[in-house]
Amino acid sequence: MARKRNKTTFGTVALAMFWLVVASGVVLAIPFDVKDPYLSISSMMVVNPWASLLRNFHYWSSQFFLIFSLIHLYDHFHYKTKIGLKAGIAFRLSLSLLIIFLAMITGFLLKGDADSQQARQILQTLAERIPLIGQSLAYSLLGDPESYQLIYVHHIATFTVFIAIAMVEHGRKYWPPVIDFVLSTAGVFMLSYFLSAPLHDNLNPAVKGPWYFVGFQEILHWLKHPAWSLLIFLGVLVLVYLATVSKERIMFLSKRSLLIYVGFYTGLTLTGLFFRGENWQWMTPWSQEYRYSVLQNFRTPRVDFSPDFELAEAVTSPIIQGRKESCLACHTGTHGFTDSHKAEAIGCISCHGGNAFATDKNQSHRNMILIPGNLTDSRQSCGTTQCHPEIAERVPTGLMATLSGMISVDRFVFNEQENPDLLATVHELGNSPADQHLKNLCVRCHLGNPKTELGPVNEFSRGGGCLACHLNYSEEAEEELANNRKGDLIKAHPEISLNVSNNHCFGCHSRSGRISTNYEGWHETTLLASEMPDSANYRLIEEERVFIKQPADVHHELGLECIDCHHSYELMGDGNHYAHEEDQQDVQCSDCHIDGNPRTITAEKLDDESAIIAALRFGNIDGKEFLVTEKHNRALINTIVENDSIFLLTKNSGKKMIIKAPAAACTRDNAHSSLTCSSCHTAWAPTCIGCHNEYDSNEPGYDMIKNLEQRGTWVEYIGEYNAKLPTLGIRKTEEKTEIIPVIPGMIMTIDLASFTGKENDATIFHRLYAPAAPHTTSSKGRTCTSCHNNPVALGYGEGELDYIVENGKGHWEFKPLYAADKNDGLPADAWVDFLQTRNDKVSTRSNVFPFSVEQQQRILTAGACLTCHEENSSVMQKSLKDFDILLTSRSEKCVLPEWQEFP
Amino acid sequence: MATAGIVAFFVFLWNKLTLQHLEIIAQKQKIYPFNKNRSVSFNEDVIVVNQGDKTTAYSAHCTHLGCRIDKMEGDRFVCPCHGSQYDLNGKVQKGPAFRNLEVLPSSISEDGNTIIIKS
Repeated sequence: MARKRNKTTFGTVALAMFWLVVASGVVLAIPFDVKDPYLSISSMMVVNPWASLLRNFHYWSSQFFLIFSLIHLYDHFHYKTKIGLKAGIAFRLSLSLLIIFLAMITGFLLKGDADSQQARQILQTLAERIPLIGQSLAYSLLGDPESYQLIYVHHIATFTVFIAIAMVEHGRKYWPPVIDFVLSTAGVFMLSYFLSAPLHDNLNPAVKGPWYFVGFQEILHWLKHPAWSLLIFLGVLVLVYLATVSKERIMFLSKRSLLIYVGFYTGLTLTGLFFRGENWQWMTPWSQEYRYSVLQNFRTPRVDFSPDFELAEAVTSPIIQGRKESCLACHTGTHGFTDSHKAEAIGCISCHGGNAFATDKNQSHRNMILIPGNLTDSRQSCGTTQCHPEIAERVPTGLMATLSGMISVDRFVFNEQENPDLLATVHELGNSPADQHLKNLCVRCHLGNPKTELGPVNEFSRGGGCLACHLNYSEEAEEELANNRKGDLIKAHPEISLNVSNNHCFGCHSRSGRISTNYEGWHETTLLASEMPDSANYRLIEEERVFIKQPADVHHELGLECIDCHHSYELMGDGNHYAHEEDQQDVQCSDCHIDGNPRTITAEKLDDESAIIAALRFGNIDGKEFLVTEKHNRALINTIVENDSIFLLTKNSGKKMIIKAPAAACTRDNAHSSLTCSSCHTAWAPTCIGCHNEYDSNEPGYDMIKNLEQRGTWVEYIGEYNAKLPTLGIRKTEEKTEIIPVIPGMIMTIDLASFTGKENDATIFHRLYAPAAPHTTSSKGRTCTSCHNNPVALGYGEGELDYIVENGKGHWEFKPLYAADKNDGLPADAWVDFLQTRNDKVSTRSNVFPFSVEQQQRILTAGACLTCHEENSSVMQKSLKDFDILLTSRSEKCVLPEWQEFP
Repeated sequence: MATAGIVAFFVFLWNKLTLQHLEIIAQKQKIYPFNKNRSVSFNEDVIVVNQGDKTTAYSAHCTHLGCRIDKMEGDRFVCPCHGSQYDLNGKVQKGPAFRNLEVLPSSISEDGNTIIIKS
């Protein structure tokens, strides 16, 4: 009998665990602070390894108490004979099963972290929904919503005492065999050293209950009326009771039902633990966010009794959003941040991830984001719930992230799609000739291209997510990085700020349309670096591209930077997918250079983002009035409308300047009302003609999506680069028809067969012009003759355009400079044949066309006048009012052109 | 009979005790900083939404199980526990919740800098 009493069973191990829980709980009460549980627990983990070990011990002994209690129950159930407990004891035992879960869940709540707070809400709501007594029960269980006092009392007293009584009553003993104690203690200590009890970092958006309730959370997710789930608890308790007191058929059915339930619940638990992420969404292990959304829940750092930092440093390190972060115990004195990004304000893990509660260097740094802000992890760094979630969501929809226009036009040019305006994204590139062409030559410039190396943004930089624009190195930070030996702590941290300079845009925007270089007055040549003359008129970019001086944009001369015109919803996207840059681009010249009443918004009506940016840049904005864009109705926060004047403040330097109204010439007449500002005020635009593309399977190439070198690549053979006044074209939209500057975007041939290997694939030829925003604004508009008498402006290409008057009859003649192209017979640089209409595939948009023959005739008629009359002559000024009436009153000397009827 | 009476008495006493406290909690006002610019702001248990000239305070607790909503995805509030979604008017857009967010009576202080929420 004595031997039997001392036999080790699951029950006695559970009993041993119970006393270990109680003992460790009593000691844990010393460092635990019920007024601020989250801080006190994170402090234990960071500052006090022994307290942390004790907490782990309390945690693991309680988990095993639950597990062994359940196995003990099963152990009794799986015999076919009846257990035969008295009804009273059976009732109290069944009830104690509920109480064990309550003791466990209150322990879970006492962590005070994000998981616990939500679990508390759920518990409260469920309790409140019990009829009649719900409110009272919820309050009696959880107490005041802002305090943990009552939960603590129930955890350490009410439930513990109940469990103790129920255990002793049915087991008829206080103590388990000594060996059970010894082994349990040793086992739990081992586990506690290696695996810490969980604590949520309050940043990860995925929240879950304790493992034993995750299955229940899954059930709740399916229920519209979750209060009904309480019946499941009731049902289980009744089944346990029946299995304990009844016999034969009812006993058998109860046990079998419980077994089925346990199997079912195990499945739900595994689903909840391993396949549910943020917002309880289904998540598979091969999903990109699996590690962050699911696996992070299982992080359990080892206790480190000799951490790499001085405990004194950890003790005095600041409290970050209610928690201690071990990072700040080593990384002391880190400086260089803006106020809102200071380590004292947001800590380290807000941006860099890692484990704030581990004290060993390797464990702290595990899964750390060394360079945060890349779009793949921006939701875990810049875009966490407390920081900039809405921006992190918007940026990937913007054109700088999707490259929709670039991709769509390239596929159009390769004849892979009929419409150049379809929406596309860089993440969906396949292996078609166009997509391979893009991957070899184009798609390095997108925000999603990750920044993988430390260091400032410069002309070699491409992409980098949020950092592409917001990263700034001070001299000190750059120097420290350059002199850093592996392992040295960096003290001078680069700044993440609103100081977005032209240099941030430069890497990508000095290519293709080259707006960055145009703006600063540099035009790319085809010279090699070795051929560059030693002169201030030349500039070498990226160590190999030679640029020559051209007039800079007037706004650049005045000290405006890119961001002084372009606002946050243009640059970071506004949540809409756009096909082309002119669709996403919002600010127009006429938003600032206003003729008439300005469109304005007062400070108190600003959207949140604009208001914050305005206040950060310019201080108090109370009572201020700002301009609003016409197209997308966005505030221009660096404009101020005061009395009758409009001012602009440069965003980075705060320089204040008056914004001028457009000149009288811009608004006075009807003749030019459909001209956009840039069609007159563009000083020059870069052009290139005659480019050829072929695939070379032996040439070393690059896959810009995978960022890997590869054999075989598309190769581009360039033609001529020129800087000249742009050609003009027509853009027809639903709202208006307007004249815009265009440049020869793609006059090119593509040797398709070189890629496909099919000899029958014909060489593709295109003569497409592209709408341009050259960013070379001059305050003075172009002259009348530079359009009306200029073959380039009209789309004919370079050459001699002459008005000939013979025998009292006039006609225009055009002699092209370039020879006719063998593909279509037009001069190499032309857009449209002289006095012809050209439709169909003419531009990189479906709504941009060259002038029709009627429009050319009208332009050239005025051009004919300009061959005799000065631009500023009164006749020409009159012509602006009503040209047709003026023509009827012309003198005999005026010979109008006659138009040959072309077949 | 006597047992039932004793139980009833204790339930009565218990109810009185707790309901009294609940009453006190219900009378507590909460005051948060208010900024007209912020179209949506999350303040502990309250979400304040400015739309046009109208300001509405919603309980931040999901009507499914009471979890606290602290974020938006696109133009929707999303509950972190089971993924219920609400629009800016507090209307349910996706379950498991089926009731709209509770509108809390609120008023804005005279200087316009704070919002007072009555429970």
